[in-house]
Amino acid sequence: MVSKEVEKLLLKVQKPGRYVGGELNEVIKDKNSVDVRFAFCFPDTYEVGMSHLGMKILYSQFNKEDYIWCERVFAPWVDMEEEMIKNNIPLYALESGDPVSDFDFIGFTLQYELSFTNMLNMLKLSNVPIKSSDRKELKQIVVAGGPCACNPEPIADFVDIFFIGEGEEVDLEVINLFRECRKEGKSKAEFLELCSHIEGVYVPSLYDVSYNDDGTIKSFQPKGDAPAVIHKRLIKDMDNCFYPDNFVIPLVEIVHDRAVQEIFRGCIRGCRFCQAGFIYRPVREKSPETINAQCKALCENTGYDEVSLSSLSSSDYSQIVPLLEKLNEWSKDEKVSISLPSLRVDGFTDDIMNKIKTVRKSGLTFAPEAGSQRMRDVINKNVREEELLATCATAFEGGWTTVKLYFMIGLPTETIEDVEAIAKLGQAVVDTYYKCPNKPKGKSVRVTVSASSFVPKPFTPFQWEPQDTIPVLHEKQVHIKESITTKKIQFNYHDADTSYLEAVFARGDRKLCKVMELACERGFHFDGWNDCFSLEKWLELFDECGIDPAFYANRRRSFDEILPWDHIDYGVTKDYLIKECKKAYENTTTPHCRLKCNNCGAAKYREGVCFEKRKNLV
Amino acid sequence: MKNVRIWFKKDFECRYISHLDLNRCMLRALHKSKIPVWHTEGFNPHPFATFPLPLSLGFRGVNECMDVKLEDDNYSFEEIISKLNVCLPRGIHIFDVTEPVMKAGKIAFAEFSIKLSSENTNTTVITEKLSEFLALDKIEIEKRSKKGLKTVDIKQGIKNFEIKEKFDFVLLNVILTAGSSDNVNPNLLVSAFENYSALTVDSDITRNDLYNSEMELFR
Repeated sequence: MVSKEVEKLLLKVQKPGRYVGGELNEVIKDKNSVDVRFAFCFPDTYEVGMSHLGMKILYSQFNKEDYIWCERVFAPWVDMEEEMIKNNIPLYALESGDPVSDFDFIGFTLQYELSFTNMLNMLKLSNVPIKSSDRKELKQIVVAGGPCACNPEPIADFVDIFFIGEGEEVDLEVINLFRECRKEGKSKAEFLELCSHIEGVYVPSLYDVSYNDDGTIKSFQPKGDAPAVIHKRLIKDMDNCFYPDNFVIPLVEIVHDRAVQEIFRGCIRGCRFCQAGFIYRPVREKSPETINAQCKALCENTGYDEVSLSSLSSSDYSQIVPLLEKLNEWSKDEKVSISLPSLRVDGFTDDIMNKIKTVRKSGLTFAPEAGSQRMRDVINKNVREEELLATCATAFEGGWTTVKLYFMIGLPTETIEDVEAIAKLGQAVVDTYYKCPNKPKGKSVRVTVSASSFVPKPFTPFQWEPQDTIPVLHEKQVHIKESITTKKIQFNYHDADTSYLEAVFARGDRKLCKVMELACERGFHFDGWNDCFSLEKWLELFDECGIDPAFYANRRRSFDEILPWDHIDYGVTKDYLIKECKKAYENTTTPHCRLKCNNCGAAKYREGVCFEKRKNLV
Repeated sequence: MKNVRIWFKKDFECRYISHLDLNRCMLRALHKSKIPVWHTEGFNPHPFATFPLPLSLGFRGVNECMDVKLEDDNYSFEEIISKLNVCLPRGIHIFDVTEPVMKAGKIAFAEFSIKLSSENTNTTVITEKLSEFLALDKIEIEKRSKKGLKTVDIKQGIKNFEIKEKFDFVLLNVILTAGSSDNVNPNLLVSAFENYSALTVDSDITRNDLYNSEMELFR
């Protein structure tokens, strides 16, 4: 629903279809007959936000409750933002067209650190005070969840409540508590205090942090009786967990314009750089029957002719082949194609290939992550060069001629030889193509080698590691470029400037809040977009605030330092992360969860892979 | 196999989607409705649909059409209407299905209603300026083509027009050349008018009907 004032702007901006709502399956309720209004904000554009599965799940789940009306809000692109400001139009929710400031909850999902400024900017565009201490009433409660909530400290001054872990249960508990508190006429402070006792809820304003002279944390203390440690929430039974049977179908094309079916949460692998591999532990699968039924319903209800199976590593689904067989039983007749992203190098078997090939031949992407075997052992990737080359040979024989390979540079202990090995591995893939007797006739091979810069993340064994400085990263990028001698390899690299800022935010503490506040005041937004990002401007801000970004990005922490996120518990113990870090220095790998339990700590949830029968034990 | 022409309105939120988005939207609805339409036979089979004359982003359309091929010759038209409508957003509404009488290539003219208004100019002034403007011998505009900018005279493309002054807007009903070879977009006319009159106007454009070269209603 768009107001007359907004309509006047729509023809002046690019892609106006993203600002109007009115999509099939959007949920419209009578605002006078609901108790709680929730503005679900995605701090990026419509096309990006509408592709996000978590939002689809929570949107449907909240709206299933009669007393809640959950609406969607996205960040307007710069042209629309400019028009809105010029014409005095505050940010509004797509369903009702009502201003975000009217809502009881303003919720953000934090998928990447560089969207922090967009979150603040969206509050600003809504005319909602950005600091939680300036929002005194029991309304406009700003909540946030998602992977970046695992270190909420850089935005602790702005958010009233962080949801730690998976949201399906805890979010509703908090909304329900809010409803009761309002009925009873409680204050915001009373509500937050009560909230802090719900497991999975972190109320940053209920804690005090003090610092040592060197800037590290001296102590982190709860005020009153808030819990000293905040434990994450997780869904135990994936088969009975809420999953939407319908999506809002966008009117304009979005990034992932297809049905998405989650098949499991977590990852058995434990690659040492990967935050998702630790914070979503333990692996919990849905049964093939559940997935099949949900997939079918979703395709029927949405009209999508493509469904993507979503997880951190699809080929690790324990019953992937039976699942694909089940899906193939109906998908062909229904003219629905199945896509399987996130395939591991060692998971692309003939069997899987033939089952996904029946429908759509998309590009193949693999992530060896590092060039040399030593480096892959350090990060615990557990993929061997022979496996990669054999997989590529399988793909080439199956008719593929383009392969994308993803790598990281700047990994701990990396030497220039390790970096050079990336170029060599690309070359080896090209050579494999020409050695392949059944390669596609008369076609050349194209190998895309992409190198991103490593960002050390909280809750990983590398959380203590310094990030390479920008000049070192540049040197490594140039070295790879110069080591590539064939035109069959296309080399891309990720901008080191954005990775640097990401590293600052990822492991930042509350001292960064004032930088964020100033950034918002100066109109910073869309830092994840090259059109808007400027490291130079950020460096000026840090300088003005007397903060050295290198303290966060490039400093090696000691194992006994109190880290800004130490009061949050994701199930994996700090001792385990230390052990893994030390193993990395020794180039030693750790077997995955299905081969051997390594006592990471996640077994305390008494669910999932930790209690599966291991084949070698049966 | 039977060709059918599906008639619809495009309004409300859907006014703001492009032709490509409309196409995607329709294909998804056809797929979901399970109406027996013919699918392409390539690697990614999808319902085959063509649009006799695409509508620009921002315009309302009250008599728009799309052609598909029915695999079942006896499939009821009423069923197409009801099944498709539940699969479409509220901005797109199917109201009729017919067997096509004319080929898409026969389209020669389109009739538009253009509501013009301006915050700081009253309707009488707009009406006067508009009459002057449309009485010009030539209306030259710069049109971007593949070979760069070229100047075209869109006056030749105005077949007929009528100006009505209303309470808070001026209504311009105009018939313009349309079709794949020669097409005058009413947006060009509006911006040419802005240039001529030095006014800034808001325009709300609706495409009413399509006609062939004999000015017979396109069916």
